[in-house]
Amino acid sequence: MKLIDANKLTALAAALARAGYRVVAPIEDSGVVRLKEWAEGAAIRTDAVPVNSAKDFLFPPSEIIGRWDLDGDDFTAKEVEPDAPKTVLLAVRPCDAAALALLDTVFNWDYKDDFYNARRQAVTVVPMVCTAADEQCFCTSVGGAPDATAGADAMLRPADGGTRFILEPMTDKGNALLDAAGSALAEGEAAADPPVEIARRFDVEAVTEWLSRNFESDLWPALSLACLGCGACAYACPTCHCFDIQDEATRRESVRLKNWDSCGFGLFTLHAGGHNPRPDQTARWRNRVMHKFSYIPERFKLLGCTGCGRCARVCGAGMSMSEVCRLIADETKKAPTHES
Amino acid sequence: MDVDRLRQDAAAVLADGRARMVIGFRDRAGDRVPAFITDAEQAGELLYDEACRQNPAAYLKKAELKRFRPVAIVARPAVMRSLVLLAAEAQVADEDVLVLGVSDDDAYHGILDLAATAALLNEKYAEIPHDPDLVKRIEEISAMTPEERSGFWTEQFARCTRCYACRAACPMCYCTQCIVEKNVPQWISTAAAGHGNYAWNIIRAFHLAGRCTECGACEAACPLGIPLMLLNVVLARDVQEEFGVKVGYDAEAEPVIGSWSPDDGEDFIR
Amino acid sequence: MSPDPDQAQAVQQPGGNLYAPITMTIAESRDETYDVRTLRLQFLVEAERAAFFEKYRVGMFGLYGVPGAGESAFCIASPPTQDQYIECTFRKAGRVTTALCDREVGQAITFRGPYGNFFPIEEWKGKNIVFIAGGIALPPIRAVIWNILDRRDEFGRLTIVYGARTVADLVYKHELQQWQKRSDVKLILTVDPGGETDDWKGEIGFVPMVLEKAAPSAENTVAVVCGPPIMIKFTLLPLKQLNFPDSRAYTTLENRMKCGVGKCGRCNVGSLYVCKDGPVFTIEQLKNLPQGDL
Repeated sequence: MKLIDANKLTALAAALARAGYRVVAPIEDSGVVRLKEWAEGAAIRTDAVPVNSAKDFLFPPSEIIGRWDLDGDDFTAKEVEPDAPKTVLLAVRPCDAAALALLDTVFNWDYKDDFYNARRQAVTVVPMVCTAADEQCFCTSVGGAPDATAGADAMLRPADGGTRFILEPMTDKGNALLDAAGSALAEGEAAADPPVEIARRFDVEAVTEWLSRNFESDLWPALSLACLGCGACAYACPTCHCFDIQDEATRRESVRLKNWDSCGFGLFTLHAGGHNPRPDQTARWRNRVMHKFSYIPERFKLLGCTGCGRCARVCGAGMSMSEVCRLIADETKKAPTHES
Repeated sequence: MDVDRLRQDAAAVLADGRARMVIGFRDRAGDRVPAFITDAEQAGELLYDEACRQNPAAYLKKAELKRFRPVAIVARPAVMRSLVLLAAEAQVADEDVLVLGVSDDDAYHGILDLAATAALLNEKYAEIPHDPDLVKRIEEISAMTPEERSGFWTEQFARCTRCYACRAACPMCYCTQCIVEKNVPQWISTAAAGHGNYAWNIIRAFHLAGRCTECGACEAACPLGIPLMLLNVVLARDVQEEFGVKVGYDAEAEPVIGSWSPDDGEDFIR
Repeated sequence: MSPDPDQAQAVQQPGGNLYAPITMTIAESRDETYDVRTLRLQFLVEAERAAFFEKYRVGMFGLYGVPGAGESAFCIASPPTQDQYIECTFRKAGRVTTALCDREVGQAITFRGPYGNFFPIEEWKGKNIVFIAGGIALPPIRAVIWNILDRRDEFGRLTIVYGARTVADLVYKHELQQWQKRSDVKLILTVDPGGETDDWKGEIGFVPMVLEKAAPSAENTVAVVCGPPIMIKFTLLPLKQLNFPDSRAYTTLENRMKCGVGKCGRCNVGSLYVCKDGPVFTIEQLKNLPQGDL
């Protein structure tokens, strides 16, 4: 098996960079750990879940999807090429990789989004098995696991008491990555450390079932009370993919942008005529939970959540998807004959 | 600080109807998150300590909470200032709000109405304390050349994802349609990049000049650790120096930037 | 019932950029009311026209735009039987619609589409059709009406009940006159009480009440109703009284849309996306949607 010392992960990053990969890894930046482009000298932090997710590099916060030259009232369309450098997502988490199934589905459902697909082709995903978790992790409650391999091109497995990593290829891209790593990796044997045990926090099937019957439930105001309607959770979430299309222009040029958006914002569903189907935060929060645990499963047979816990970690108002699901699941245990 | 007295007072105001809801803080697995108590029996959940960095006054802008007025808010001095200022800006009426006065200096100030809150601020918390590290950082940045300063802030704002958590966390950001949500014209680019990020953060700081009570909730809410308080404190100091106004001490005060007096200085016009 | 949208248009835009619009020129421009404009748009490339009409069925929508201002979603207000141009009708309400209104005949705009599902008019052959519309919601119905009129003898009796707040707010005024004159169409126009002019010869009253008074038979008849949510809600009552089954009554939903292709997550009502499962829905489907999301 191919091995690397845990404290030599940056040597692996350096080798991959020399081989032409843009290396993205969890790095400390102004007091937070986040996934960003690695540069020589930066330490790779594997001890905390980064505040952002792998989605940033497949579906960036802002990207150009159209360009025109302007000349008075006339315009000429110009080609737009997706910006898709060869990239390795190094030491992301299994919950990041698991989210790719949904992003792949949404961006290819019927119409194919080549901006996403170009980046997707160019990315090699290397999750690290989690041997530690915090209170907000709940991957095992949504069909995931700290050592799940869904979406992975290669797995980094902590081994020998955390002193080394095993780098195990899972796909052709993974094999290519190992080749590129070359002598940064040693050949040898090591014993993979057991993944952390994460107790299931709620029965997700009970949640989905309750949601299908409880659009009008009295529980929604209480569940959503703390939410102040920012986009922090949606932006941190590896599966959230809502976006806005906006034009910006000077006298001579205009661009059409695909920008991140969030169903939590007040104007998200506002009609031009003034009607807003979701006029308050209660309605918007309900849509968020429904979308992840009811509508997406109904349409795509996938959950819209991989249990990474980022939403709860970034939320300044103390909202937590796992806490909400737990409260809903508790509701289903309370009164089996009660119709809400 | 005597948390038991806080809990007793919270239970009392709910029990006798002086408040329909208490907004404070509770523990969640070691973190401090907002608590919304409508029943005296739940008061035992409440706590307060230095880790409680959100500003509960921000919840007064939520439509769903209007039916719970009068509301009692667990308020440290910065939050008390927010409430007094909200009253000065006619966003909240005296009879809508009670304060359960807490502090980071171990004093618990009991149940206060807005008038008593303002009196307490003027008597016991007349100066806004500044973290020495923050002051040092401000001095360092002020000593930079304009190019260096611009480079510093460009780097800070490059991380901004335009999640608007700063706006959501701030009690003074209560516009029903924020400037970034206006598109005729589009004053600020909505893309999380470059000049739009710069414009958003600077303009929000400007819109808070003379209105920021330096609670720090915006910086605490930012997922990317952008040092927003550097901007806000600098502007707050400028306002105090130019106009002699301390923010959040007088519920009758006219808005600093929104009002004009013939005595206003002009030496910044060059 | 609405046909399966996935069968209708599993097509990729030429060139691979799903978001790349085509350019069209404004051939004609007409003010329907003081703030409602109709544009007739010409394709610049024959292959684009042919590709469009291969996919287009009545009920589908498109995204019309001006580079620099953005795009806006409206129905395609002309039928597939008129295959040399398309038309759109919209109210000047914001940034994009203002930019579209600033464009003159001969100038260009961008277009993406057709998207969405369509009215299953093939299933309506031999049936009577009752159209019920209010105000600015006539455009999607107008496309169906012309589609039917262009194939008149395939369908049964046609009844149109159309109303607006005032006479000035009625759109397609010259077409209303044409329909009024035809012997194979029964047109009932109405304005809200107080919206009539001195020489108004039509009905005075809200659309649902006028429908009730007209009392078209539901036997072998399909109903198509478009209007603001409140009008649809009150029209369902007379439709029910007249025994129109919910599965034979159709409507279109208008939600805020951006991508038009089921990716941006904005237009869902419950688990249905207006841009993919709609905009055409049966009343039966409408009643099964979470009403608090409408």
